[in-house]
Amino acid sequence: MSALDNHETLTGAVPRMAPARLRLPEAVTGILLILPAIALLLALTCYPVLYGVWISFFNKHSFFPQQTFVGLDNYLFLLRDPQFWSAVWLGCVYSVSAIVLQIVLGVGAAVLLNEIFPGRNILRAVVIFPYVVPTVIAVILWKWLLNSQFGLVNYLIEQAGLVDQPISFMGKDWIMASLILVSVWQFFPFVVIGVLARLQTVPGELYEAAHVDGANAFQRFIHVTLPQLKSVLFVIVLLRSIWMFTKFDTPWLMIQGGGAETYIRTLPVYTYMRTFAYYEAGLGSAMAVVMFLALAVATACYFRIWQREENL
Amino acid sequence: MSLLARTALAVTAGLFAATSASAADKVVRVWHTETEPQTIKAFNDIARKFEAKNPGIRIEAEGLAWGDLEGKIMASLAAGSPPELSHGQPITCTSLQAKGLLAPLDEVVKAVGENNIWDQVKRVCNVGGKQYGLVHAAGTSLLIYRKDLADKAGLKPPKTWNDLLANAKALTQDTNGDGKIDIYGITLPGDNLFVNIIMGELTKANGAQLFDKNNKPMLTDKKMIEILEFWRELAKYAPPGWEGHGYLQTFQNLYGQKAAMMFQGYGRGAGMIEKFAPKEMANDKTFDVWVKPHGPSGNAPAAQVDEEPWMLFKDAKNTKEAVEFLKFFYQDDNYLEYIRTVPIHFFPVTKSLRQSESYKNTEMIQRWKGWLDAQEQYLEKDWGKPTLIVEWSDMNDKPYLMEVLGSGILRDMVMDVVLEKTEPQKAAEKAQKRLEDLMKSKGYWKG
Repeated sequence: MSALDNHETLTGAVPRMAPARLRLPEAVTGILLILPAIALLLALTCYPVLYGVWISFFNKHSFFPQQTFVGLDNYLFLLRDPQFWSAVWLGCVYSVSAIVLQIVLGVGAAVLLNEIFPGRNILRAVVIFPYVVPTVIAVILWKWLLNSQFGLVNYLIEQAGLVDQPISFMGKDWIMASLILVSVWQFFPFVVIGVLARLQTVPGELYEAAHVDGANAFQRFIHVTLPQLKSVLFVIVLLRSIWMFTKFDTPWLMIQGGGAETYIRTLPVYTYMRTFAYYEAGLGSAMAVVMFLALAVATACYFRIWQREENL
Repeated sequence: MSLLARTALAVTAGLFAATSASAADKVVRVWHTETEPQTIKAFNDIARKFEAKNPGIRIEAEGLAWGDLEGKIMASLAAGSPPELSHGQPITCTSLQAKGLLAPLDEVVKAVGENNIWDQVKRVCNVGGKQYGLVHAAGTSLLIYRKDLADKAGLKPPKTWNDLLANAKALTQDTNGDGKIDIYGITLPGDNLFVNIIMGELTKANGAQLFDKNNKPMLTDKKMIEILEFWRELAKYAPPGWEGHGYLQTFQNLYGQKAAMMFQGYGRGAGMIEKFAPKEMANDKTFDVWVKPHGPSGNAPAAQVDEEPWMLFKDAKNTKEAVEFLKFFYQDDNYLEYIRTVPIHFFPVTKSLRQSESYKNTEMIQRWKGWLDAQEQYLEKDWGKPTLIVEWSDMNDKPYLMEVLGSGILRDMVMDVVLEKTEPQKAAEKAQKRLEDLMKSKGYWKG
């Protein structure tokens, strides 16, 4: 029997113990300790989500208490609402394009910044800059740059002789491209950070071995770098997909004070409109639920495909 | 006691005293939509003067962006803590009045003098003879044009939409002969609010209606189709990508010499022209205004009046103090201080100020006199109405116009015709169906 078994501490003090009958089993103590965290989680996360699902079954004004139970009517309305399907389509075009470009640009920039060259550290700091700029500033900045009357971009491409007339980047034909451009610019640094961190842990021996085997730079990228990036890209693609598909602020800000709104009315924007312009909180909630379910299904499929790939 | 401890004690005591004093004040919260720095300053100066004359009352004014206002008002009402006073669209005012959320401002009207206020202004948010909203300033929309170019081309003021189209065509010019258009005939805004504003105007100017008396949408009516046909033709003379232009960019197009006419101009533009146009052009000899033309089925011009009324919220804490503040605000001296901040856009709602020498002698008012005369004409002849109001009875009979505006249905219809090249009849049918769904879901129309 050790000295500590007699409830003596190393310093020799004897701690006060609760009488045996008041002592709670360890499991109960554990549960009691995590109870506040669970309560907080339920109150702040589960309650709003469940309330959102609940009101999706009502015809409810967004700000006033009047509400009528309508069952699945809101969901049935969405099925036959062309605006909803148009918003789904525009949301997919926006998020898929933005994600692909962010990944391509992000990986490219990370590979470059992993090399040793003068000014690398400064460039690493600069490349993070768009990600730390608040979205509202980023959008205003780009709207100035892309302005058809005095924007720098139009000036440069006109000077370069690429166009005869200034391009209306906020007009029908270009607003989606402009939105994707702004989003790629703002969020590709996220990919850079993740990929660069992973690249720095790839053992140099792998590249040396590939080099000895006669692999050129492109082959080393395909056969060494990419497989090493697989797991980090898995997480990045997942997170960026969720964030881009639910992105509200960037498209919304793009159409404030002018901008061909109809052509970038993505699902989050349409959900906002239904809730705060039509004041239809029930329908807005139904759209949010659909968005949530779509993302949940897509995430599940993504995990499944990933697991299968890993098994292979 | 150490110096540090004594200082801390003194600071604490001071803070406590200051907090106690301000806690005793009656606070009047004011939300307005004027975000120009000089207007905010003038408003705050008036508030400070009022506070000095009325110890114990504090005015807390906050300037909000247009897009945020409706949502904030609704959220504050839902939370049971509305401000005492707020600006709002006239159609928001009637919508909130219909829900019993506003208190009348008759006492303010009485203090200002009933006969001292333009009749047009008194019709805004007036329900059952009570004034539930009192406009802070009324500025009508204006058809602004380049007088130098129009004179050179020998153009006459357009009486009808066809005249306007002809003028727009004549003013769309390749000025340097390189085969490219250098100046477009007209600049149009493409954002939702302004397309709705224009739709309201054109509806009036063509003798049409957006809804019948049973609240059935009337978008497929022949007169409404004529409006869409007019949009289709007019947009041909607008700069490419006009649909992406907001209000400010349409002004840029005008003073930046990219467009020769501006369909939806306002007095505020005079300030922008003075600031940004070449000096020799920054006057009303170059940028003049025409009376807006009417449509083939209409017989009188129509303009939108930018006239946000002050609304007094019934459930706010200090409504009496808010009424006193408004009375003070409309006193000629104070009101002039406010109006002078954007003198050509803020058309005074009181006749006494409009006729006062101090107002008339304001330098900028003299420089842009023609623009103000045009606005007065719209108000006096009852050609000007608030956004989406076609008949004055709409103010009270159609409390859903705010939702119609927010839905973007009218804008989508216009864009379908102009950008997607959909036939006006088809685009109108599509929008009609959407609007019918909206009216049914809100319970305003049974179908």
